[in-house]
Amino acid sequence: MRFPSFILLAPVGLFAFGACADRSPGPPRSETRGVASALSAGPAGSDDGFARALAPRTFTFPADHGPHPEYRTEWWYVTGNLNTKEGRAFGFQWTIFRNALAPAVAARGSRWGARDVYLGHFALSDLLPDGGATGPRFLSFERFRRGALGLAFASAAPFRVALDDWKLASIATGAAGPTWPARLEASAGEGTTRRAIDLVLEEGKPPVLQGDRGLSQKSAIPGNASYYYSLPRMPARGEIRLGDQTFAVSGLAWLDREWSTSALSPDQIGWDWFALQLEGEAAGSELMLYRLRNRDGTADPVSRGALIAPDGQTRAIAWRDLTLTETATWTSPKSGARYPAAWQLRIPSERLVLTIRPMLDDQELDGAFRYWEGAVGVTGTRDGRPVSGKGYVEMTGYADATAPPR
Amino acid sequence: MLGVALGVAVFVSIDLANQSARTALSLSLGALQGKATHEIVASSPAGLPEELFVRLVRSGVRPAAPVVEATAIITPKGPGGKPEALPLLGIDPFSEAPFRPAVGRIAGGGLDLKTMLTTPGACLLARETAERFGLGPGERFPARFGTFERQLLLSGLLESATGDSPSAWADLLICDISTAQEATGRLGRLTRIDLLLPEGAFSARELSLVRALLPPGVLIQEAAGRLREGDEMTRAFRMNLAALSLLALVCGSFLIYNTMTFLVVERRRLIGLLRALGATRGEIFSGVLGEAAAIGVVGTLFGLGAGVVLGRGLVRLVAGTINDLYFALSVRDLALPPLTFAIGIAVGLGVTLLAALAPALEATGAPPQGATVRSLLEAKSGRALPRATVAGGIVLALGALALPFSGWTSSFLVMFGAIIGFALLAPGAAVLLGRALRAALARRTGRVGWIGRMAASGLERNLSRTGVAIAALVVAVSVTVGVGAMIASFRGSVERWLDRSLTADLYVAPAEREAGFVGASRPATIIDRLGAIPGVIRVRPLRRAEARSTTPGAGTIRLIAVEADPSATVIRQGDAAEAWTGFARGEILASEPLAARLGLSVGSTLPLATADGVKPFRVAGVYLDYASDRGIAMIDRAHYRRLWRDDRVSGLGLDLAPGAGDLELDRVAAAVRALDPQEPLGVRSNQELRRRSLVVFDRTFKITGVLRFLAGLVAFLGVLSALLALQLERTREIGVLRALGMTTREVGALVAAETGLLGLTAGILSVPVGFVLALILIEVINRRSFGWSMDLVLTPGVFLGAIALALSAALLAGVVPAIKMARTSPAEALREE
Repeated sequence: MRFPSFILLAPVGLFAFGACADRSPGPPRSETRGVASALSAGPAGSDDGFARALAPRTFTFPADHGPHPEYRTEWWYVTGNLNTKEGRAFGFQWTIFRNALAPAVAARGSRWGARDVYLGHFALSDLLPDGGATGPRFLSFERFRRGALGLAFASAAPFRVALDDWKLASIATGAAGPTWPARLEASAGEGTTRRAIDLVLEEGKPPVLQGDRGLSQKSAIPGNASYYYSLPRMPARGEIRLGDQTFAVSGLAWLDREWSTSALSPDQIGWDWFALQLEGEAAGSELMLYRLRNRDGTADPVSRGALIAPDGQTRAIAWRDLTLTETATWTSPKSGARYPAAWQLRIPSERLVLTIRPMLDDQELDGAFRYWEGAVGVTGTRDGRPVSGKGYVEMTGYADATAPPR
Repeated sequence: MLGVALGVAVFVSIDLANQSARTALSLSLGALQGKATHEIVASSPAGLPEELFVRLVRSGVRPAAPVVEATAIITPKGPGGKPEALPLLGIDPFSEAPFRPAVGRIAGGGLDLKTMLTTPGACLLARETAERFGLGPGERFPARFGTFERQLLLSGLLESATGDSPSAWADLLICDISTAQEATGRLGRLTRIDLLLPEGAFSARELSLVRALLPPGVLIQEAAGRLREGDEMTRAFRMNLAALSLLALVCGSFLIYNTMTFLVVERRRLIGLLRALGATRGEIFSGVLGEAAAIGVVGTLFGLGAGVVLGRGLVRLVAGTINDLYFALSVRDLALPPLTFAIGIAVGLGVTLLAALAPALEATGAPPQGATVRSLLEAKSGRALPRATVAGGIVLALGALALPFSGWTSSFLVMFGAIIGFALLAPGAAVLLGRALRAALARRTGRVGWIGRMAASGLERNLSRTGVAIAALVVAVSVTVGVGAMIASFRGSVERWLDRSLTADLYVAPAEREAGFVGASRPATIIDRLGAIPGVIRVRPLRRAEARSTTPGAGTIRLIAVEADPSATVIRQGDAAEAWTGFARGEILASEPLAARLGLSVGSTLPLATADGVKPFRVAGVYLDYASDRGIAMIDRAHYRRLWRDDRVSGLGLDLAPGAGDLELDRVAAAVRALDPQEPLGVRSNQELRRRSLVVFDRTFKITGVLRFLAGLVAFLGVLSALLALQLERTREIGVLRALGMTTREVGALVAAETGLLGLTAGILSVPVGFVLALILIEVINRRSFGWSMDLVLTPGVFLGAIALALSAALLAGVVPAIKMARTSPAEALREE
């Protein structure tokens, strides 16, 4: 489960969106409607003409790494935890959303005519600052581009997703070459707020289909679903840059791919999403979990999880088979939003008890809409034996839950 | 009070009009430019390839915003709608926010990104502009872009959420870059790319990084240049206006002084009485000043109000002239800068008090008995005369000292030195003139003789009043004369220049040029197509273009690429034969304003950005030209085509067989118009073009004409109040004369003769003063500041007109006092004794 970008279609001060790109501070909050209200208001355009995720489909690779223009929304979502040889830790998020403005548009004379708008988010978390001050410990950047002229685009063969100089592309250049390894790049900011990343990602575990054979139901309404697969354990190696310091790093990344036309129902206010890579007693396993929160505070019954075994086999975990308890909260000084800041997760069927904690409290993205997306650490037990791990958590719908609905 | 009000009003109105034009200028340029620090532009008119933008952002050059600019011609709905040229700003919304935050802050439902990006022709207008054109959201309307007519869709209205300067977006058509490219037919091209480079240490590094990405013929420059250029472009014009407003201020001050003197004079008797009753000098002094202050306050307030009203009228004239001469600028709001009002108030009150100071001192200084006696005052005035004369000489000399220096300040100093100097000399000259007249009439007997002699000596005897009146009249009339002579000379020179340079029989230009699209052009094939029209023996193509110069402060240079035509161009500097030889080699000819602006002379070089990068161009000669006050560089068309890779044409001259009559002209013109219905051409005959050029000239000087009229009005009021003061004081004198047997007719004649003499003196004095002012305007202001040279044309009419103006102003002003005095019965006039 990831952040859908059809907020782009909400008729809010759209010009303001670019304002925070590479710049801080962003635009005044009052001008951008939050996630929840934008989502509950629904997409501005009609879903007519777009394909819907109604039934399981057959995934084919590498074609499905590329775009699915018949669906309204799509994203390439890479997160990961990295370390220097000396043990300094970093988290990163690199995301490109594609969002179609219309199912089809007339052919135009100008090459600037566009059907798709792309949105990029890039964030870097400096988790263990034993190397001294390198500016803010968490910085995020946002960019918008139209899908035209090669300014922003996605293609399957060769595999490429790009927005300006932010790109994820196969290292093999030919159309017939292997998709992986791929190079992931982004840079933004200037001076002490300059942040850059340049990694080579291996495929690691093969694609894991989430939900029912890749059909991930987001509410009881048919069609409110997405096609969803993950590469949950991608070895990553390269360098990152903070200010004028460069760090050689390696670690694990997680790629989420999802495309859909509509997902949430009006009752849903936001969600919490977990992507955890486990070590110790559960070494080589990953846990994916999402909770869709209703306005009344309950979790939508379609909320679910999946435990991916070292051999890639997935075991689905229904919501009723787990307990997720918030054990701490953190209030954002910027937005005033109160986010959960620690969880205890119990999955009796898997004999798992995990404690999940942010590696850094403030990993709130400050773009056209606010959400929390950050690196977390995991400790716990499986069958009473120790389990550790790292991962990423996303929380949406908090910044606006504190504000009166508009 | 009227005097104070008028003086303040004239100054305030001109200053407001001037400021409004300037505010509108920076607003409209600022809206287009935004916050960019640098911009990437092409040296050729074709613009930038859009791939350059992609290359920049892929290389991480951010923030960068692509811009397509063009001119759209839109006709307002409803009957009688005249087509208007609106600047079109084609933008990429995703790149905009850091550059034009005003757009970014616009809230409301008007901005529908989906429509803007996916619907061809979708565009946005400020609400007030949409209303002016009678358009509502969702409405389709036609717009002309060059030769193309396009259907646009008003997809939303722009409203500033923050309420600040919505007029920045007024008269601007905003659309997505895709629509802008399609509408203008310039697919694949950008006008420019705005950049926001970091300041300080990073700047140089980023700049060199960007430079390395630019193809030849593309350059990066500081964005502030555009605003500065626009500012500088109209600077000369605005400085001219500022000079006029200062002249108005001088005239206004005279008027205020006159008014105050009149007031004190009216109360002389009262003051004498009060003093006799025991009022102290201090009390009288503060009483007079208090009254002056009261009058000053009320008059100034009226003046400010009238100034705003008058300013509204003037601002339209100013904006019209800027539209004619420079670029599309619409001034719909009158800017009300506090500074103008502050100066207006300071002048109104300050001059009033200052003007009251002298009469107040004079009134309090007199002994109680003497206050009522004029002779004492006149004796004092007589003694002051040499001092005023000497002071006048000094001011003149000081003004002359500024003569060798160039620049606006010194030009102003020279002019004001002359005006104030001559004004101070005027009373002395009047005395001399009066004495001469008396001597001339010494032997005349009869009525003419004695009345004339009385009137002539009256001029000197009543110097305390007449002196100021004459000075005011001289200033006002000489300004009229000087400005009039300058305009006449200018017009004459322009006419001769038009006669000489308009040598072709017919002039052809893209039809859309007439609607204000100055960049209109046609492909070079039009030359042969026009040449094939029967009766056309020669086609002379012309290309208007712009080239950036790397000379600091030079900005954009207007280029005219033509084939050499020595008979149509007057070489003012440099040997003509050598100039044309150089021209054929690819050297440039600089127009006089260009040479003056950039300090160019024969042999100097001007670096210009060509399609192959910056190249130095030698100046082969300086030629006479009135087409642009910014200046023009003329270059051989063959060289231009090679260096800028541009062989389009902006205009063409057609020569017909010698002896072609009107019928033949009409036939060829019709053939030209019918040549290409898709991309219509406009045709004008030689005579029509000449006439239209002069119409523009006359419109440009309309505001000057208005100011001349205002100056005349000020002079008239000045004389009127001076004469009223004078005659009021002389009630008793007239009574004595009447008692001595003078008839009412004779009294009337005496008053008329006195005022007539005053007017005549002022008129005669203003002739040389006006002449000197005209010389200064032509030789100092115009030549030095604009680089325009013109031959001084002195028509007797201008001078006779000046004398007539002064005379009639004086006589007209004398009518009321004359009638009043003639009607006074001697007994009544003497009763007070």
